[in-house]
Amino acid sequence: MSMDTRQALRCISLFAGLSDEVLDRLAHVAVRRLYPPGETIIVEGEPCQAVYFIARGHVRVYRLSPGGRQQVLARMGPGQAFNTVPPFQPQPLNHATVEALTPVTLYAIPGDDFRRLVSECPELALAILRDFAHRLDHLTNLVEDLSLHTVRGRLARFLLEHAEAGQVTRRWTQDEIAAELGTVRDVLGRTLRAFADAGLLRLERQRIVLLDRRALEAEAQR
Amino acid sequence: MQNWALPEINLLLCDRCGLCVAECPASAVEMGAQGPFIARPADCTYCAQCDAICPRGAITCTYEIVWATDD
Repeated sequence: MSMDTRQALRCISLFAGLSDEVLDRLAHVAVRRLYPPGETIIVEGEPCQAVYFIARGHVRVYRLSPGGRQQVLARMGPGQAFNTVPPFQPQPLNHATVEALTPVTLYAIPGDDFRRLVSECPELALAILRDFAHRLDHLTNLVEDLSLHTVRGRLARFLLEHAEAGQVTRRWTQDEIAAELGTVRDVLGRTLRAFADAGLLRLERQRIVLLDRRALEAEAQR
Repeated sequence: MQNWALPEINLLLCDRCGLCVAECPASAVEMGAQGPFIARPADCTYCAQCDAICPRGAITCTYEIVWATDD
């Protein structure tokens, strides 16, 4: 174990309130791993080897249908954890595929060690429970979004959320947007064109230019 | 000279199937010795059809999402 590992774990928000003793125990079993952009970190359905804590970079968590359709479950960044659920299940399998979006630095803790530490350290168990609660909340909202809103509504909300900051943080392909919305590329393309025909947005080279906030907000309720 | 934003073609992923050349509505894509390329940039409308049909995911059209500024 090194002081560096303990310091790095301390910077992960999930672990921020933990005592030095618990951090030392985590650092003792944590292994630092680096991934380049585009690298698959874990694959859905494979045996769970470890839980992962992101120190640097961003990842995409998704599931694939048998037909190859993607549903993005979450995007995660520094301080967040993934694959923390399977170690507590009778047959620990990875619940989703996780891919690095940027250069990523992770700390991996073997599933057995993680379960043992959670059972021995109440403060760690509470930190993990808080993370589970946050995750349950997120997935409940995602279920509501997918089941109660149309693709038009989901697309309008996605566009409003991602243009809201006023500064461009990234570019999206239509496949990526479709995967975020739980739909397929063709449907997304048709919906974008329908929005353009209705004057809600304008499709330009490399830009989706939003034109009518009120109409988009009305669509977002659908 | 106009600085056209064009679809990005990853020749490492491309298997030279030629679908993008055949399906481009503007006939802007041609097959070269190294693989497909946008031979007539001014004709490309950035419709993203090539991105949609490429079986290897080798062509990418990306978009920023922005609010219109008051023109």
